[in-house]
Amino acid sequence: MILKLNHLNQKATAATQAVVETIYSLVAEGLVDKGQFARLQIELDWIQYKHNFREVVIATQGYTGRDDVPPPIMDIHVDTRQVAAGSLRADLLRALKRADSELPNGDRIALEDFITMRRSIVWDFNRFYWRHLKAWEHASGQGYDQALPGGGSDGHNPLAIADDVLEFLNLLVGLQEKNQLPPEINLLEVGVGSGSRCAQWLDQFQEADRQRGTGFYPMVRFHMGDYSNDTLDKARPAVARHTEQCRFIPMDAINPIKALPQLRHKVMQVHLTNVYDNLPDEEVVRRDGKLYFVQVRAFVPAGEAQRLGAKYGVPQAQFRDRVLKMIEQGFDAFGGEECGVRFWQELWTAVRLEERLVRLEDLPEFPFPEGLDAGKLEDILQDAPTDFRFHLSSGALESFIHTLPLLHSSGYLQIFDIFVTDMAQYRTGFFGPGKLDGSLLNWVNGALLKEVAQREGYDVHFRPFKYRKETKTSILYTTRRE
Amino acid sequence: MTKLPILPTAIVGSYAMPPWLERLKGDYFARRISGRDLDEIYDTSVKAAIKDQETAGIDIVTDGEVRRDNMVDYFVERFPGIQIDRSSKKFYYDFYDSAIRNKLPMASLGLVPDFSFLRSFTDRAVKFCVTGPHCLTKRINNQFYPTEEAFAMDIARLMNLELKALVKAGAEIIQIDEPYYSGFPEDLAWGVNVINTLVEGVDANISVHICYGNRYGKPSWEGSYRYLFPTILGAKVHQLTLEFARRGGEDLDLFKEFDAPFDLGLGVIDVKTEDVESPELVATHIRKALEVMPAERISILTDCGCFHLPRDVAFAKMKAMVEGTRIVRKELGA
Repeated sequence: MILKLNHLNQKATAATQAVVETIYSLVAEGLVDKGQFARLQIELDWIQYKHNFREVVIATQGYTGRDDVPPPIMDIHVDTRQVAAGSLRADLLRALKRADSELPNGDRIALEDFITMRRSIVWDFNRFYWRHLKAWEHASGQGYDQALPGGGSDGHNPLAIADDVLEFLNLLVGLQEKNQLPPEINLLEVGVGSGSRCAQWLDQFQEADRQRGTGFYPMVRFHMGDYSNDTLDKARPAVARHTEQCRFIPMDAINPIKALPQLRHKVMQVHLTNVYDNLPDEEVVRRDGKLYFVQVRAFVPAGEAQRLGAKYGVPQAQFRDRVLKMIEQGFDAFGGEECGVRFWQELWTAVRLEERLVRLEDLPEFPFPEGLDAGKLEDILQDAPTDFRFHLSSGALESFIHTLPLLHSSGYLQIFDIFVTDMAQYRTGFFGPGKLDGSLLNWVNGALLKEVAQREGYDVHFRPFKYRKETKTSILYTTRRE
Repeated sequence: MTKLPILPTAIVGSYAMPPWLERLKGDYFARRISGRDLDEIYDTSVKAAIKDQETAGIDIVTDGEVRRDNMVDYFVERFPGIQIDRSSKKFYYDFYDSAIRNKLPMASLGLVPDFSFLRSFTDRAVKFCVTGPHCLTKRINNQFYPTEEAFAMDIARLMNLELKALVKAGAEIIQIDEPYYSGFPEDLAWGVNVINTLVEGVDANISVHICYGNRYGKPSWEGSYRYLFPTILGAKVHQLTLEFARRGGEDLDLFKEFDAPFDLGLGVIDVKTEDVESPELVATHIRKALEVMPAERISILTDCGCFHLPRDVAFAKMKAMVEGTRIVRKELGA
């Protein structure tokens, strides 16, 4: 058996010892046979987010789709953060039995069939959250920003904005000295939300421009991008004093250039804060030289489903359909928004994911996001650990690939987010997915973005976000390679 | 000289570089395939590039430059006396870190076999492209010569011998690529002197291609071609090949304003976008150029190399270029 520690958290020492002791006792009692023991890999995780999709112990098997081929992989994952004294043995046994298909599926209500993570229903929940954000905030009594780990968005930090404005102004002065300043200075922020950062940025830029007498402000065209006109309308008042400079662009964050084809090679700065960590993602496992995609199936434990059903009048036989209907149509079936939101919030807390691993060549369709394929990925992984699990950051990668062509030859992309900056970090931590209010949160594989960007002619750099202590935010920025 | 139609069409030099070729080159560096295999892959790729150009209806065909990782290293690797840090190149398109530490020795660059290969696989007129000395001095770390100009002049002397060898082998049309003029306009005066040394006694139709950069399919600089004038008028070449599709045709008036003695290589295809131009748009670009120069002095080209375009896009753009040119030829009764 292989025992893997995927974290550096000393708080899990006792849980780690308990796992080893429990496994040995199960072998001694004959509840785990030696053959099973020999092919077991137990991975001890410390999941980044308290609110997540994992049961304490899960079995993750390889899946071939063929009855005559035994599963090539048999992993047990233990979230050492959740391990509770006294229940570990039962949790381990249940996971092992599930892996051996001895347990029926009656202990859970599946919300979907096994599917690649980026197409899972949990992303529908995520979209549903953003559509009904006000209702969620009203019910929980706090705004989304307040739910963030730092109590607010790092993108709004005035010192960070001040430094950025200064750097940007210096860039423009340098271009002007070389007679390379374009007639219009285009900027783009994707995911503007309330418009607060745009407003702060423009205020500070206008003032700095006035103080230095550079005269750039009238040339500024600030393109504010978000997913709907409704959202953008809410952002308009924040930038009312900069009306001449602002443009409001509905766009899919995954494909910014589609909304702004006329700005190809013309944007001096693109900024995103906490957008990539909320884009559909999936995970890949590299094991023994092979690549496996993690397929997931969202479910609600039967006990929770029964409790929710009794409380909100949802018969068990209709549970899945009612959930799907809610995501599609809203809260009408619950007799109104107030009751519906309460159901939704409790349901979201209860939603879990089970997993299976499917080899790349056994997948029914090409699984890679634009900008990547197996050959490129293998090149990228040449120096990476041989046995590890990592994010593909599919949505982030597509957004990235569809943003780079917007950049002016001297322009740069600046992203405030939670990045894994080196593939090796995946062996010292488990980075998601987690739940943040009603949304889904994933760390972003910055190391992968960096490699892909290099092949597109950009270097990618990371610097820590120095403006708030203990933040996990870092700043990705690009520079052009000649 | 091979007889050409009025408004002859050509790509600037490079054709679409297939991702699989990039990968195979990586396989060669990783010793997964042999040099012999790689050579055969190159030969086959050149034949495919020629065939695509012919099928699209291009009048002057290149080898697509598919043997070149980029416009610099193909030459740097052939220059005697240039030291290359082989570990400096992580990706196919990257430039090697290279340096000159002694006077450049005179020796053959061995370009003739690549030209002869191109010549032997098409009956159409062919063009061979070389990177100019100014561009090369910007990429090779000069640790010997007192000035960039002195270094560039020695490169020009060496390459002059090579161009003469190409002409002897049958080359009739040669293009010199100087994309870095636009980034370093202050070098233009000595850059023109270097060009004149490069082409001295070379009996071929010589064009100079000047663009605003095309690294990874992106422009490197902005501005107007006005910086070229009047200095460029001293260049002893037959044609200036410039990009107009992406940037618009305003600078065409410079040819009228300065009564430029050159023919015009008119860029009508934007190679920095995958959007395929319509033949009518191409025709519009050509008609605008005809306002400043007679058709007999205009060639129709892509803005720059198609290196970073997908093959199907590059092919469709070539076809649009050819069809757009045919529209104007018909209007001219040609």
